[in-house]
Amino acid sequence: MNLEEFIRQNRSGFEEEGPGPDVWARLEKQLPQPRKEKGRVVQMMAKHWWKAAILVALLVNAGLLLKYMNTRQEVAVVIPEIQEMESYYSARIEQKMDELKQLPAATAGLDSLTLKELELRNDTYKMLEKELAANPGNERIRAAMIRYYQMKLELLDRILDEHNKYSNDSPSTQKDVL
Amino acid sequence: MNLYPDNLENLPVTDQIVARCRMGDARAFHDLYHAYSKAMYNICLRMTGHSADAEDVLQEAFVQIFKNLDKLATDSSLTAWVKRIVVNHCLSYLRKKKVYFEEVEDQEWKSEDGVDENEHMLTVATVKEAIGQLPAGYRTVLNLYIFEDYSHREIAGLLNISESTVKTQYMRAKERVRQIVHLKSKRI
Repeated sequence: MNLEEFIRQNRSGFEEEGPGPDVWARLEKQLPQPRKEKGRVVQMMAKHWWKAAILVALLVNAGLLLKYMNTRQEVAVVIPEIQEMESYYSARIEQKMDELKQLPAATAGLDSLTLKELELRNDTYKMLEKELAANPGNERIRAAMIRYYQMKLELLDRILDEHNKYSNDSPSTQKDVL
Repeated sequence: MNLYPDNLENLPVTDQIVARCRMGDARAFHDLYHAYSKAMYNICLRMTGHSADAEDVLQEAFVQIFKNLDKLATDSSLTAWVKRIVVNHCLSYLRKKKVYFEEVEDQEWKSEDGVDENEHMLTVATVKEAIGQLPAGYRTVLNLYIFEDYSHREIAGLLNISESTVKTQYMRAKERVRQIVHLKSKRI
């Protein structure tokens, strides 16, 4: 019988007992730390899903505005002191946008596309402005602009409220309160 | 005898253990370690020849195994992967000990004629002892070929030497084992 055959046939006889318990005891202290990325992503999604809905709402709204303005029907509603309303909303929106921009990008959880849509003087606004210049004194366009301001302001308020709510819920803040 | 937990390979449990390890589940690391520790410790023991060193090498290898589980492709063999990491750690241990795998044979062990392969001379104890007395380079080649089932080509790759050198070293290693066993049986 040659050596290979002998060893293969008696293989179990060549096996020793396993390592001592110390090896695992030492290994246990070096285990990779649990990764939390997945949990964090789920948490982020739960926390920010409604912000994606904002983008959809703004885009749909812009689309509806276009459709609305293209209709030839006269709108009977006349909004008084329209200039003041406009400057009021513009100031409020700009103030809220500034507040929103103060937040760290990660905590606000808004992507660049959503932010762009929230900006006061974005493409939708410019489109409305152009329409207004082409049809000065058209109340219908002015009303559409006001509606657009109102909606934007509501959304900004909502974002900031949500952010404050989550900030207050965070363990670090609770600790500070206690 | 099932030396390696190959039965883990084709069962969902392997994926589960690996998946749980990837999630950082301490219990899964424990299970994975215990599935392989005995077989892998035996490799370390054969390769290093010292139980304390074998344990150190085993520990280092498992630190790397745990750390790199993410890199294990889903379709590759867990056992082969674990074993390769353990073997590589054993080889770096030997390299640190200045073991040169390409060393040429010294003349005093020139092959003798007349060493028959009488099976009665071979016992587990004498063969084990004889392998233990081999120079580390020969012992490594013999262990990798007979015990760890690597081919000459694979061993050449692991040791970074030519396949023909592996073959030569393996033949010489076997020859020496026979001679040592023969001498021992004559002494008895």
